[in-house]
Amino acid sequence: MDSGMEESTGVARPTAEEDGELLTHVLRGDEGAMSVLYDRYSRIVYSVSLRVLRDTAAAEDVMQEIFMQIWRNPSSFVSTKGSLGGWLAVVARNRSIDTLRRKRPSEQVEEMNLASSCNLADEAERSILMERARSAVKLLPTEQRKTLEMAFFDGLTHSEIAEMTGDPLGTVKTRIRSALLSLRKAFQA
Amino acid sequence: MNTSNHISPDDLYLFALQLLPDADMKDAATHLKDCAECRALLGEIQGDLAAYALTAELKAPPVQARERLLRQVAEEKKVIPMPEPVAVQEQPQVEESTEPMLYPRNSRVSQIDDQDERKPRRFAPIMAWAGWSIAAVMAVVAGMQVDQRKLVEQDLSVSQAQLGQSDAQVQHAKQVTDTLRDASAMRVALHVPLNAGAVPKLDPEGHATYLPSTGALVFVADHLDPLQAQKTYQLWLLPATAGSAPIPAGLFKPDANGNATVVMPPLPKGVTARGFGVTVENDGGSKTPTAPIVLLGS
Repeated sequence: MDSGMEESTGVARPTAEEDGELLTHVLRGDEGAMSVLYDRYSRIVYSVSLRVLRDTAAAEDVMQEIFMQIWRNPSSFVSTKGSLGGWLAVVARNRSIDTLRRKRPSEQVEEMNLASSCNLADEAERSILMERARSAVKLLPTEQRKTLEMAFFDGLTHSEIAEMTGDPLGTVKTRIRSALLSLRKAFQA
Repeated sequence: MNTSNHISPDDLYLFALQLLPDADMKDAATHLKDCAECRALLGEIQGDLAAYALTAELKAPPVQARERLLRQVAEEKKVIPMPEPVAVQEQPQVEESTEPMLYPRNSRVSQIDDQDERKPRRFAPIMAWAGWSIAAVMAVVAGMQVDQRKLVEQDLSVSQAQLGQSDAQVQHAKQVTDTLRDASAMRVALHVPLNAGAVPKLDPEGHATYLPSTGALVFVADHLDPLQAQKTYQLWLLPATAGSAPIPAGLFKPDANGNATVVMPPLPKGVTARGFGVTVENDGGSKTPTAPIVLLGS
């Protein structure tokens, strides 16, 4: 569990394999491994939830629920699903939207094979990726950026967005897709 | 929804965002179970969403959240399933093995009856049981050692967690102290504004200490009126920039004496404040303040 201090010291460079090892420890009931995972990813999970819910208490509840899911069922994430940090970020968003809508958690979308080479376990790389993501989003046309924000962080359906903006449904759908494709290109560049 | 039996790209994005109508979500999920091509595309989209999620401004969770999680984790300790015992290959049946290995203690007659017959093999069952006994003792000793090791490991994990927690608490306390002592901190007294209706017997008041450079804020209020059910007080930072919307600066509920505090709420750095306000909102807070303003200071 040495890697538990990497976030604060920046000495160790954890890898995706270490996430897998930690999950194996969690599977065996290792509480120390759980605290390392929390230290590594709680800020991402909490920040995404807070951005959606805009309420610190509710964001904390969502974060607690997600980490307890890892504790209770670590096999719900396996290394073949991609980046643990990326998966947690998307799950945090989905759970927060469910909370906004007072819905039961949607499991089908959480069972995702996330195609991502992002190593969010490493703090330095995470900072670079965040900066790159923000820069890429700034370059998006305003309509695309706003539409994506409304869909992702506010959880508005394409119909609701169309109603609010007065744009046709097809346009809203295309803007969401185009925005995310632009983001992908920026990451691949 | 489907194009050539596949989910259209636009709808696949909406599926990943959980924004399709329920019926379409189910149809898409059914299709994805059998379509590797769409699953691969969905994986790429999920990767895009993970990248976009990173644009959220990074905020540290409250210090007590870590303690809360680890406490719940400890409460839900796992029962680790033991591996199935390895099946021992049955020995070929020999004549002796059909006999019982051990006679019942009260079956003296049988022992006496068979005594002569058993004389040549007297030590064989004793040796066999001695072997089993030694194995059992070793297993018990090994088990105890494993238990002790687990206890030591658990103690170590708890100590590490407590150490990390203590560090975080010290940092937090230092940040609060620094904010309160900082000479450049903005200090605001909040009072009942003139247009907020009848003034109660004990005037609610609040005091905010705010450091714009770090976004650190410590707010203390007293004599607050009790809240109705499912209501909460919400603190707002009023930016100095003209036209800027109030920024939510934390939810709080007063104790039985009407006292409440908000310490280090997540606030953006570098926002100059012209003042602070407090409103009553529904539980969970609001994105914009709801009139009337119950406390205001600038």
